[in-house]
Amino acid sequence: MRSPEPKKKSPKTKLKAKSKSNPKKASKLNNEAIEEVFYASPLYDFLYPFRPAGNQWLAQYIIVTFALIIRCAIGLGSYSGMGHSPMFGDFEAQRHWMEITQHLPISKWYWFDLQYWGLDYPPLTAYHSYILGKIGSFIYPKWFTLNDSRGIEMEGIKSYMRTTVLISEAVFYFPAIIYFSKWFGKHRNQSPIGQYIAATAILFQPSLMLIDHGHFQYNSVMLGLTVYAINNLLDDFYSVASVCFVLSICFKQMSLYYAPIFFGYLLSKSLFFPRLFNIPRLVGIAAVTIVTFVAMYSPLYIFGGGLENLIQSVHRIFPFARGIFEDKVANFWCVTNILIKYKIKFTQDQLQLYSLAATVLGFLPALVIIVLYPKKHLLPYALAACSMSFFLFSFQVHEKTILVPLLPITLLYTSTDWNVLSMVCWINNVALFTLWPLLKKDGLILQYAVCFALSNWLLGNFSFVTPKFLPKMLTPGPSISAIHENYHRRSLLPHNILWKVVIVSSYLSMAVFHYLDFFVEPPTNYPDIWITLNCVIGFGSFVFFWMWTYYMLFTLRNKTLMDL
Amino acid sequence: MVAAIANGLAKDSKRSVNTSGAANKASTEELEDLSINKRFSLWNFWVCSLFLKLLLVPDYFSTDFDVHRNWLAITNGMHLKDWYYEHTSQWTLDYPPFFAYFEWFISHLVPSFVRRDGCLDIVEVGQFGWPTVLFQRLTVIFSESLLFLVLQIYINTSEVEERTQSFIVASSIVLSPGFLIVDHIHFQYNGFLFAILVASIVAARNKRYLLCALFYSIALCFKHIFLYLAPCYFVFLLRVYVLNFENFKFRSYKDLIFLIRWKNLCQLGMIVVGVFSLCFGPFIFDMPQLLSRLFPFSRGLTHAYWAPNFWALYSFLDKVLTVFALRLHYVHNFAAKFIAPSLLPSSIEEIRQRIAEHNNGTKGLVQDVFFVILPQISPKLTFLLTLFYQILAVIPLLFDPSFKRFMGSLTLCGMASYLFGWHVHEKAIMLVIIPFSFLVVFDRRLLISFTLVSSAGYVSLFPLLYENADFLIKTLYTFVWCTIYFFAIRKTTKLSSSVERRRFFLDRIAIIYICLMLPTVFIIHFFDVMKWKYPLFEKFEFLGLMTYSVYCGIAILSSWIGLSWLYNFDEPLWM
Repeated sequence: MRSPEPKKKSPKTKLKAKSKSNPKKASKLNNEAIEEVFYASPLYDFLYPFRPAGNQWLAQYIIVTFALIIRCAIGLGSYSGMGHSPMFGDFEAQRHWMEITQHLPISKWYWFDLQYWGLDYPPLTAYHSYILGKIGSFIYPKWFTLNDSRGIEMEGIKSYMRTTVLISEAVFYFPAIIYFSKWFGKHRNQSPIGQYIAATAILFQPSLMLIDHGHFQYNSVMLGLTVYAINNLLDDFYSVASVCFVLSICFKQMSLYYAPIFFGYLLSKSLFFPRLFNIPRLVGIAAVTIVTFVAMYSPLYIFGGGLENLIQSVHRIFPFARGIFEDKVANFWCVTNILIKYKIKFTQDQLQLYSLAATVLGFLPALVIIVLYPKKHLLPYALAACSMSFFLFSFQVHEKTILVPLLPITLLYTSTDWNVLSMVCWINNVALFTLWPLLKKDGLILQYAVCFALSNWLLGNFSFVTPKFLPKMLTPGPSISAIHENYHRRSLLPHNILWKVVIVSSYLSMAVFHYLDFFVEPPTNYPDIWITLNCVIGFGSFVFFWMWTYYMLFTLRNKTLMDL
Repeated sequence: MVAAIANGLAKDSKRSVNTSGAANKASTEELEDLSINKRFSLWNFWVCSLFLKLLLVPDYFSTDFDVHRNWLAITNGMHLKDWYYEHTSQWTLDYPPFFAYFEWFISHLVPSFVRRDGCLDIVEVGQFGWPTVLFQRLTVIFSESLLFLVLQIYINTSEVEERTQSFIVASSIVLSPGFLIVDHIHFQYNGFLFAILVASIVAARNKRYLLCALFYSIALCFKHIFLYLAPCYFVFLLRVYVLNFENFKFRSYKDLIFLIRWKNLCQLGMIVVGVFSLCFGPFIFDMPQLLSRLFPFSRGLTHAYWAPNFWALYSFLDKVLTVFALRLHYVHNFAAKFIAPSLLPSSIEEIRQRIAEHNNGTKGLVQDVFFVILPQISPKLTFLLTLFYQILAVIPLLFDPSFKRFMGSLTLCGMASYLFGWHVHEKAIMLVIIPFSFLVVFDRRLLISFTLVSSAGYVSLFPLLYENADFLIKTLYTFVWCTIYFFAIRKTTKLSSSVERRRFFLDRIAIIYICLMLPTVFIIHFFDVMKWKYPLFEKFEFLGLMTYSVYCGIAILSSWIGLSWLYNFDEPLWM
């Protein structure tokens, strides 16, 4: 009776027949107003069965569960500094903070044995560690006994620590990302499934997964709080946004990379737009910001023995004594250091000044644009441009810090412009590539390869290969019917020929790098030459991308959300 | 969750309001057209699960890993005659010869750096590093591809109207948490072995009976656990391929000759005998030794961890009764009045004495299970019980040899052997779930039975992975699998006409029961983590495992009862 109903997982035809189709979707098909993101990618194929209204609610839980599963699976690998006594690595640092925060009075937190992983993050990290340490001690006190537990590697501690990251991320990062992609999707008339596809694309960003769950850190908390701040800006809750952003800064100072844009946006919204001199709003934002800072730091002052402790904590957070860069990192100073030996030629103070000037020059145009055009769709671009300039030019940058600019860039997966999407895919791959030396040191080679392949494959970057070598009966995808002859993933490259050249050459050089790194021993007098090559490739790509974000900022400044 | 459902409902209503306004007929048709001609490919699932499985390579593996490594070494390094005699390691070869050939084949693929790692050394306890682990994990992953291939063929050969359902069945099997837990973490080759069984099921569906017999006998020669399904296959093939009732009229006993299609019988016999002689031929002079390896009868009724079957409930009842009898003497006195001493211990002293003699518990090696109050169980009894229920499951197949019936009887055969068998492994639940997956899409009323047995079956596999690191993976994966597939099957299956006969009261209870499994698992894990702190928990360490087996056992038993009811008394369902 019914026409053949070959549907992927659910009786969409039946549902559709009942609801007589959805005019919104139908009109979309006619006008081709907004195309699905990642059309014809494996992600699209997977989420396609959730298109009917009755199934949609399930989609987000499934996405989140799979995101958790893949993170658990990454967590089975080793962590930074596993078995490397006496200093171990970031895992031990985080565990050590849980240990000291719960055993020492607050006045000692920023003073205790600074040589061995002294606390060097703002107080919210300390409080976070305190809570997790308390819970951990309840489960098994030996994990966190003072001093005796250093470098502990017993069964259970790894699982516990991994679980804490997972839960922190599930609380702070996942809801923020899902809300963000839903907000953008709704305001740009994307279908619900398009929104979920975007959310999945963001959640399966490989670099963050590997650093947080492989290498071991809690970056997702900071990034999640920032996304909460962005979400509140989107909803015009300015005070809440500033609270969230201050909390984000108080978790890790790295989120100061976003500060100019938040500052400019809030300032412009309260002083110039939509009406001039909205003083109550300005005062409200300022008051809330100050109150949050005070609330965060007051325990250090009240219970921690006054101003001295406060200054020490700030001193620990901004370690200017540690030089312009430590390990090799794909930013301006480290790469040009090949030609000009900064550390010999200039003093520390000079370098600080230069890097400050360069950074300010780098983000100033973005700040000006966001002040003049405080528009929501510009936020990701402005944040990306600003934080990227910090990454490229500021003092004491780590390779992991690329996660900070990567967040607003990855949020652009909510876009539907294929040029934008392919740029974002590309820079995500480059960022992952720059993390390679770190991950290799941590013994996460397998995880690196799998995450790279998984994220790209989900987004359909390999889809141009599959139909060619697969037999016809295996060709994936929901449909290659007469109507949709064009059911194949769009090219993973932007339309512009220049960009094509840049991207393809960067991919080629990455392949060459991996070949060299794997098969060729570096010459004895330049043992770091491959890592330097890695940094050069990364730096070049980041600079190109940084300029592209500026270009997009300029071109999009007079447009609306729909043109993102 | 509730909020989400409410949210979804709200969305629905909003949408329907929108729709009532301007439903455009042309665009509706367009949408309908879009849904035709879909591609049901398992390729994406293969790739995606490949990534997950690769990430699981560094995970915990059980002693089964060393077992299989040892078999690789034995088959590679020794002459065929000695395979079943070799006993340097305690992990002797105890799978049928086809599997040994398979291991022999794999052992020739071992690259030199893995060989240097100690992969092929015949030693008491394997000494190996990550190359061996990686190699063996990869052999599991790639041999499992056969399952994907077979199921892809299953999808492609099914009717266009049934493709959606076939796709759901196929993807549910390839993504099954059972294979993930048992093969890719615990370490076994079930995915590959079940591929052969599934091939025989697909052949039966496509009415290629010779192929069906061929694949089944091959599967049997790979892993003798499939013997549990033998009665069903035997009767099915006999009825559908050998016997011919079409023009049969009984006038004298001579006519019985025409009942049998002799040509078909010969073909079938030749195939089965051929496969078996290929398999066992080289070992023909060592058969007693081989059989003693394949069927070691020296084991106890239940495993150290009770597989959640009838005997688990029986043992549990025995424990409860023991506690009662020791605490409340009059209960025992009362019972003793009615039940003769051979079935019941005559006095409290005797109970105490029995407990002292057989320090029975679930801890430690349980070679011989001893019941304090309840009658002892002999292997013969379990065998008879299994056979009895299998025969009950097979009889309807004699009258109605349809594919649906075949699947039902296969599932029930698997269930009977699982529930009443001697020394059943919890992994044997796959033998029930896989055939049931093919059956469940025929009618929605089978769904509740399926949800019970699959969720309980997969949860009962959890104690296999006792490491903390695996806890979230196994729980989350099973949870998400159940959510997706129970939902998908519910959405795609139809109710047959006899729908309102039964109230849905029991279904509700079953759903609540399944949902409660999640907190139960978490609570057990919590006690397990905290057991060092409270000596009380340590003392009752076995309690967690017992909860697993009793909780899942009840679910599986009720699923079996529900399915048997539908199988025997609900005719329209099987039309």
